[in-house]
Amino acid sequence: MRQGTKRLVRTLLLLVAVGSASGCAAAKIRPWDRDLLAEKQMQYIPYPMVHALDEHVYFSKEGSTGGSDAAGGGCGCN
Amino acid sequence: MSEALARVEDYFVGRFTAMAGPCEVLVDSDDRARAGRALRAADKEARRIERKFSRYRSDNVIERINRARGRPIPVDEETASLIDYAVACYEMSAGMLDITSGVLRRVWRFDGSDRVPTAAAVREVLQHVGWHRVTWENATLTMPAGMEIDLGGVGKEYAVDRAAALIAAEIGDSFLVNFGGDLYASGWRRGERPWRVGVDDPEQTGEAALYRIDLPRGGLATSGDARRFVRWKGKRLGHILNPKTGWPVEDAPRSVTVIASTCVEAGTLSTLASLRGPGARDFLREQGVQFRII
Amino acid sequence: MQLGAGPGPEGGPTDPAPRAPSIRGKLKAAACMLFASGVPGMARAADAGPTTQLDITGLYYSEASRVSVIEPTARFTRLYPNGQSFFAQLGIDAITGASPSGTVPSGTTQTVTSASGTVTTRSASEIPTTKFKDTRVALDGGWTKPFKSFTPTLGGHFSREKDYQSIGANGKLSIDFMHRLTTLTLGAGYNRDEVFPVGGTTAGFTDPSLIIGTGSDPKRVTTGMVGLSQVFTRRWMMAMNLSRTHEQGYLTEPYKLLSLVDGTTGLTVGELTEKRPSTRDRTSVLVNSVYHLTENVIYTSYRYYWDDWDLRSHTLELKYRNVLADNTFLEPHLRYYTQSSSSFFKSNLIQGDPLPEFATSDYRLGPLTTVTLGATYGFRPRGSPGEWTVRLEYIGQLGDHHPNDAVGALRQYDLYPTVNTGTVVIGYHLDF
Repeated sequence: MRQGTKRLVRTLLLLVAVGSASGCAAAKIRPWDRDLLAEKQMQYIPYPMVHALDEHVYFSKEGSTGGSDAAGGGCGCN
Repeated sequence: MSEALARVEDYFVGRFTAMAGPCEVLVDSDDRARAGRALRAADKEARRIERKFSRYRSDNVIERINRARGRPIPVDEETASLIDYAVACYEMSAGMLDITSGVLRRVWRFDGSDRVPTAAAVREVLQHVGWHRVTWENATLTMPAGMEIDLGGVGKEYAVDRAAALIAAEIGDSFLVNFGGDLYASGWRRGERPWRVGVDDPEQTGEAALYRIDLPRGGLATSGDARRFVRWKGKRLGHILNPKTGWPVEDAPRSVTVIASTCVEAGTLSTLASLRGPGARDFLREQGVQFRII
Repeated sequence: MQLGAGPGPEGGPTDPAPRAPSIRGKLKAAACMLFASGVPGMARAADAGPTTQLDITGLYYSEASRVSVIEPTARFTRLYPNGQSFFAQLGIDAITGASPSGTVPSGTTQTVTSASGTVTTRSASEIPTTKFKDTRVALDGGWTKPFKSFTPTLGGHFSREKDYQSIGANGKLSIDFMHRLTTLTLGAGYNRDEVFPVGGTTAGFTDPSLIIGTGSDPKRVTTGMVGLSQVFTRRWMMAMNLSRTHEQGYLTEPYKLLSLVDGTTGLTVGELTEKRPSTRDRTSVLVNSVYHLTENVIYTSYRYYWDDWDLRSHTLELKYRNVLADNTFLEPHLRYYTQSSSSFFKSNLIQGDPLPEFATSDYRLGPLTTVTLGATYGFRPRGSPGEWTVRLEYIGQLGDHHPNDAVGALRQYDLYPTVNTGTVVIGYHLDF
């Protein structure tokens, strides 16, 4: 438990580092540079329903779960 | 709606009036019903865009923005994309293309006379020009009182491209959209023929075509209108205004025609070229686009 | 007719104008954006009214000689011009087949009575499984609406099957910074699951034939997550999510059993139900990246997971969206997953040894590696609305075939044989 918390703090620090390092790079993107970013395939999960099916399959076959969202309903998958 | 559909040679021509000018849709087909569908789609879209973005109406988003007197106005997605496009043009032209410059028309009248506004009048109105005074964030626009925006500079070309996309979704035939001289051609006609576009003599609009352009595919737009000018110190000043000085661009070409992949791009490039006055030709050469300057 | 390069009817003097050869390219990108806001759908911009989307997916899942699942799902989404949207989703799962009961091969032909009342006869070396048949109905709904830089999202979930019920709610808040280039997301969820196994829930380490109905002891799952997404360039963005889940209540699998074997011969002398702790804390860090080449897109993700049952896992996923034509793409997909064993995983219990505090022989809590290979083909048929996707996938699961704690006769059997699974997912998306 305690070890987990330490790791959590370390991860949060890493998150902050990623965020601040990107500050200067970010300023270069103008509105008209968003053409590619605006496309449907330019999302982390372009097909959320297929993704949910995948998660469901892996949940029923593996010991780990979660990561991408706070949502998710359980199932009694054997 | 006052649409008219006629058979000319081996294609159909549909005509209607919108956005203060004559509009045409040419359809390379033998099927009257399909041509009719294309015409109705174009007519409907032209009217929709005119209604939504015309600054002469009192019931649209432009009116809400222009009467906000400093209040933030959230806008819909389509308006936001047009404003985003205008911002892109503003930045890449170093402030020469500015949708807030329309208020300069309060002091300039391009009626062929020799009346020019006083320096004081120009200075006064210039206080209300400049996109840098506007806050545009998260699809919400906040603009000081007294300023106005006008999307008319891109509206007609945008309508052409939108109408073309709608027609393409409706029929498979080759077609050409012409809204008051701003055009889009969808592709080669049957028999691998291009659409033929006559470019008017700016001095005699509608009477004599100076030359012809073959346009198989893409957008075409012309900027400049030789009938709108004032005379000053023996010079003839066209209606293209520099938003920084508040004065017309000197020695601007009378007419700049550009071909690009969409009508919107063609329109913006031709205006950008006009704003460079005598440098228009070099500018367009550098861009590597097809153009004609008169 | 010469254009561009040729002299016009009237040439003008040149001006020392600044060179700007890139304007055309920038303009093209800007125009692209302008029309990206709804040209194919059209309905979106037309008088800015609300639009509806329909998504249908169908999953067919088949594990060689074990489970097969058919899962159709339909989702309706209503989108409003101000960015607000609602969705409602109905999914049905029809599961049939057999799942490993947790016991080891008996060494002799045997007949087993399971908790669900079915009877199976099997050969000596076969992994005992429990046959089952179930239908699950799931309802999901959600709402989201952007308010300036803040986008809250709310969702609800309900699912029910013969012996399991799940009800949950979740909320999320995304905050945009730096002109929407940086997004911070905070989320939380709560789920309450209840198991009603045939014959009642088991107390753990009991003879399966003597199951006592202990009434309902729900499983409560609380999740919290923090995410940061960053657009780095016009083509590249990355996100990092940290999530923490606390589970409490009945975490045991009611139908999973442990074999009680003779310490020397390895022959089965009895069976006991498994027993797991009543809490579990899971943590995961997920890193996602999307990179847009000129047309094709590369998706990569990596997840590191750990929990207080001492299970740790690494998941690496790679997808490459390869655009074949205007309206078709082929996306190969590779996933590698590997986990270490939980602290109380045992392939069997030895008769006469003192009972451990907890034990399970569920292969999902033992050492395990999963390899997934697949491809998605997507297309928009000409002249008809909507986008179709078809995906075929192979999932191979490799357990520890001959675990160290196997005794006697059990050493000769493959206790965790490789499980091969095939899935087919068909999806259809329609805007109207």
